[in-house]
Amino acid sequence: MATPAFTFTPSTFQKLHPAEFFRRFTTEGVRPDGRLLDAFRPTTVHHGVISTANGSAMVRIGGTTVVCGVKAEVAEPKLDAPDQGYLVPNVELSPMCSSKFRPGPPSEQAQAVSEAINRVLKESKVLDLKDLCIEEGKAVWVLYVDAVCVAYDGNIFDAALAAIMAALKNVRIRKPTYQEGTIKVSGGSTATDENSFTLNLARTPLSATFAIFDTTLTILADPNVTEETISDGQISIALDETGQLCGVTKIGASSCSQSVMRDCVQSAKKRTQQLRDIMNQQ
Amino acid sequence: MSRLDRTRTSAHQLRPFFSSQNLLNRADGSAQFDFGESSVMCSVIGPAEVKLRDEKLDKATLEVVVRPLVGLPGIKDKAREQAIRETLEPLVLSGLHPRTGIQIVVQTMKDDGSILATAFNATILALLDAGIPLKSILGAVTCIVDSETNQILLDPTTQELANAKSTHTFVFDNKSSITSSPENKDQEEAVEVATLYSDSTGLFSEEEYFECAQICYKAVQAVHGFIRTAVQKKLEKEQQQIHS
Repeated sequence: MATPAFTFTPSTFQKLHPAEFFRRFTTEGVRPDGRLLDAFRPTTVHHGVISTANGSAMVRIGGTTVVCGVKAEVAEPKLDAPDQGYLVPNVELSPMCSSKFRPGPPSEQAQAVSEAINRVLKESKVLDLKDLCIEEGKAVWVLYVDAVCVAYDGNIFDAALAAIMAALKNVRIRKPTYQEGTIKVSGGSTATDENSFTLNLARTPLSATFAIFDTTLTILADPNVTEETISDGQISIALDETGQLCGVTKIGASSCSQSVMRDCVQSAKKRTQQLRDIMNQQ
Repeated sequence: MSRLDRTRTSAHQLRPFFSSQNLLNRADGSAQFDFGESSVMCSVIGPAEVKLRDEKLDKATLEVVVRPLVGLPGIKDKAREQAIRETLEPLVLSGLHPRTGIQIVVQTMKDDGSILATAFNATILALLDAGIPLKSILGAVTCIVDSETNQILLDPTTQELANAKSTHTFVFDNKSSITSSPENKDQEEAVEVATLYSDSTGLFSEEEYFECAQICYKAVQAVHGFIRTAVQKKLEKEQQQIHS
């Protein structure tokens, strides 16, 4: 009787051939973590987690956690846009969240995610920057939106965008008064509707990300970090509450047919609606 | 309908292309690609030595550097670097050159809109010029949906981009085939489009997105043809030089 000359434990197999190990699961329609291929990880949203910030939120998608804080500061407007404030989103991927990231200047991934979010916010006109004007040509609000990843387990774009949108919804800024060149921001212990204002957001874009695995174009919703490393590409789709698209990005190896893209858009519609419900109820 | 740049008469018209290869004599390959008044120069060095930290045991490492028209590279350029690198990585047969590096430098020369698409086209020409083995070639085109007329305009200029409701850049390789299914033969939509890279921003509907993809796919066929001719001409010239 022939016995196999060489056998592995499943964990050894996973380390030696991560893609093949994963393929054994996907052909059966599941993933190693027990999720179906189109299932997103459990998501939670907490509002106002940082009391010293003007607005804040924490979003957790599976093992990925992003904390976002919004800080409002007074600044001089640009000469060519004297009545517009600034919205400065930034995503930070520090060595704290994963050994993938090194200390030092922001990694390429962090910059690319920041830029992608910046474009979604700007191009889909989430916030009218004129709302941030205090006194034309003299003073405007600048909103520093810092999203810090504290635990990285893939799909940073969805988590960061959700955290940023939740934090922006949570923003409360004290009403300023402008008198002869000086700006006074009213103090007082509690922010009320009389002495402060909230942001008037035109829409809330939220996104869903899918990984493309193999040439068979297996679509994995909400990839975790192992799925990201073995996948050939990613599709990110951002939608607002009316189902209007705010951004589509498809990057990576395999060419994706339109039918695959259509399926992803449908799935993204469902997912962003679900995420919106989670965000509104908590 | 006349376009804002006044040289074009149709919404689905591309600006005249121009390309020239082998412009830089210290690089292994170089190319310039123009869409009208937008121009991008690209140089390729490699396969060459690679930093130990970036070395990959079984394939070549691709490094992409994007330089803006003026000033220092910002996060926009970093995002473009990532887009170009991740699109090209699977296209290059990097397994043939393990433990080496291929450096690609993309420099904007003139900016009149559709820079990312121009950069993609310049890069593929430079890679061909450097003789880097490739699985397939790619072609890129940008289009916008106009905010006033809701019309899809191909290959927008800076002026047209300012009026855009949404902007879409598509990259297609020359493998994605046209398959027409028999049941909807009469429809033009029978073209099955396979996207290699797609980047869309602004506000748009699902229908608009897929319509843009269809229109860009058709336009990219012209870019593919152009790249093919450019390579053919260059090879003919080289042959003549050898035999003379």
